[in-house]
Amino acid sequence: MRTRAAVATALASVGILIAGWQSGAHVSETGAATSTSLSSTGSSGTTSGGSTSGTGSSGTASGGSSSSGTTSSGTSTATSGSYDGSSVQTRYGTVQVQVTVQGGKITEVKALQLTDAENRSAQISAYAAPVLRSEVLQAQSANVQTVGGATITSDAYLTSLQAALDAAHF
Amino acid sequence: MRPTSNAQHLRARIFRSMGTVVSLTVARRTYTQAAVDELESATAVVEGIFTELDLKFSLYREGSEASRVARGELALSEASESMRRLYDEASEWRLATNGAFTAERPDRALDLSGIVKAHAAQEAALSLEAIGLQDWCLNAGGDVLVSGSPQPGTNEPWLAGVVDPGDRQSLLSAFPLRALPALATSGSAERGEHIWTVGSGKAEFVQVTVAATNIMTADVLATAIVAGGSPMLDQAVAKWGVEVLAVRRDGTLLATPGFRDETGQAARKAG
Repeated sequence: MRTRAAVATALASVGILIAGWQSGAHVSETGAATSTSLSSTGSSGTTSGGSTSGTGSSGTASGGSSSSGTTSSGTSTATSGSYDGSSVQTRYGTVQVQVTVQGGKITEVKALQLTDAENRSAQISAYAAPVLRSEVLQAQSANVQTVGGATITSDAYLTSLQAALDAAHF
Repeated sequence: MRPTSNAQHLRARIFRSMGTVVSLTVARRTYTQAAVDELESATAVVEGIFTELDLKFSLYREGSEASRVARGELALSEASESMRRLYDEASEWRLATNGAFTAERPDRALDLSGIVKAHAAQEAALSLEAIGLQDWCLNAGGDVLVSGSPQPGTNEPWLAGVVDPGDRQSLLSAFPLRALPALATSGSAERGEHIWTVGSGKAEFVQVTVAATNIMTADVLATAIVAGGSPMLDQAVAKWGVEVLAVRRDGTLLATPGFRDETGQAARKAG
């Protein structure tokens, strides 16, 4: 089944993607884009229903990835459903992802399990991850007492936010 | 009375040193003339420390001790104790960062100016402590070191904004200097690409901000991460427990939890 193979491959790839994200070899905020490029176009068959569960693994460096699917009911095509990847051990802990496929395309990738042991979880969370600008702590210059930045020259200081704060506190 | 919204009583003084501007901000519950006098004298102490170290370590002064060492006129073994100590410290950091941080320029000349500012800030902190000042914020050209709170007597942390390298007039983020009182930033936004990357090629990050337990660690690691990229970032977080906010060439961000907004995190987990 091409579809299953595609999903298995995608899961394996996503496993690598997640592992990469954790280890700091980042793929930025392109999770969706990456997944899209991995998605199969093989919505060929009309084999309906029946959950695609199996042990079809595609070997990867980080370990095999099997999919046990729970296909969504109803009118969706055979290629639709959400698939739980198998747990993969990484050096930061256990990683398991769930991939949702609709019409042969991956529409969502969710991390179901990032770590098991608590100490590992602490370790993993300490690492830097790609974040959107809206996801970091926000502040206006009116709310901060000082401004950090790459060393500025004396001249550049004059027009800097720090100069404005210093002047306000003078 | 200052009409500030959260009743902060902050007073700041500035001076020029090491090619940049240093500012000292002191927080008081009330403002009396005595407090202003105290700030003035504290600033004088800090300025004295910076000036002395600048005279000794600047390479743009031909007669400085550092220039004489760089030209080979003065052997390091004959140099002053502070020169040797700082050189030792730089060497240790070079080892600890696998060469991502180095005090040696590509032409092999010794350049300690990268850590002199942090060293001066550290010395200044000791002096401020010695004269009994408790709630202050020192900003040395964008590197920040704090003590206490902007609202004395409370646990309110000093909040440092992090400038947006793409727009110096706006803030990219902020960091509450609570457990980690030091924040340093390295980048190529202001002075051109003054950090040499490991190997060749352009730096992966245009700006790296590091929060650490002390300003030397924050400063050195910010420089090292710009030079060494993601691998160095991971190493820094694992080894020194620092918080990092890095800006990539394309403007996207990498952040450790300390820089992330908690509500944003919750939203991500839920989604």
